[in-house]
Amino acid sequence: MTRFIRARIGFLFPLLALFLAGVTSAAESVPALAPEPMILTATARGRGMEAAVAALNQAIVNHNYTFVRQQAIDSRLVPYAEEVRSMRLVYFCNFAKMDKALRLDARASQVLPCRVTLVETPTGVELIAVNPAWVAQNMPGLHEECQELKRDYLAILEEASL
Amino acid sequence: MKRLALPIILALSLSAQAEPLSVSKAVDMRQALDDLALAAANHELVLVKMQPIDTALAKRGFENPGIRILFIGSESAVRWAEAVEPRLLNLLPLRLTLIQREGRMSVISDDFALWLTEFPDAPAHSMIEAWRAELKAMLDDFVNQ
Repeated sequence: MTRFIRARIGFLFPLLALFLAGVTSAAESVPALAPEPMILTATARGRGMEAAVAALNQAIVNHNYTFVRQQAIDSRLVPYAEEVRSMRLVYFCNFAKMDKALRLDARASQVLPCRVTLVETPTGVELIAVNPAWVAQNMPGLHEECQELKRDYLAILEEASL
Repeated sequence: MKRLALPIILALSLSAQAEPLSVSKAVDMRQALDDLALAAANHELVLVKMQPIDTALAKRGFENPGIRILFIGSESAVRWAEAVEPRLLNLLPLRLTLIQREGRMSVISDDFALWLTEFPDAPAHSMIEAWRAELKAMLDDFVNQ
């Protein structure tokens, strides 16, 4: 009986070694996740603010999002006539995605509604968004949704800056 | 033992600070909005916009999540960020999430810890801490009303 058990163990050891070697090499081949950048940006060269906002609104619609509103960075903080004109905030959302994300974790509100900040420069307009995948780095339940949202942002920024 | 306890206490207190600000009290949405507007005014903050996510979703056939978002700001914060660290404009106006559950209203800020980590040096780091402290004082005021 003892000899039988020894034989089995002797047979299992090489298998176990092969398994462990496989696991180790698989783990080594998985690339480490790169840290998410805080900001996603694109540049609409040679464009003014009005044209850039119009292009962004079109890109938002083209990617199945709904325009919510636009405002100055100092809206309601100063009289309308004194608001900064060289910077606009454009808010938008996709209601189905918002519903899904909030069901998963109410902290999804930290990326809602979506926002792109447009900053006019001498050469064009910078389009800036806070990366939702960066915001959600401590919310594992929202990882997938925020990666998808990040892809949407990148697509919208790219289209709006063409 | 004391040598071991000190770093642990320090780490725990830092991680507690790192969490988003959160308060709650037994009021409905309307009362919460009134109380928050008053608390904001008491601290020279302005309620810039209220985003009624609850009605927006319900109107489109989704379940009402009982959530609204408030944007709160101050001109001095905007001017400071414009002049010193424009990347912080992305944090402005400050956001509060209102969550209504079983007769209680929870009000939660964004996670300042992420921003503090991203901006480890003065003056941006100190300014984020100042904004956080301002918001905390406002939320304490809201709870105590």
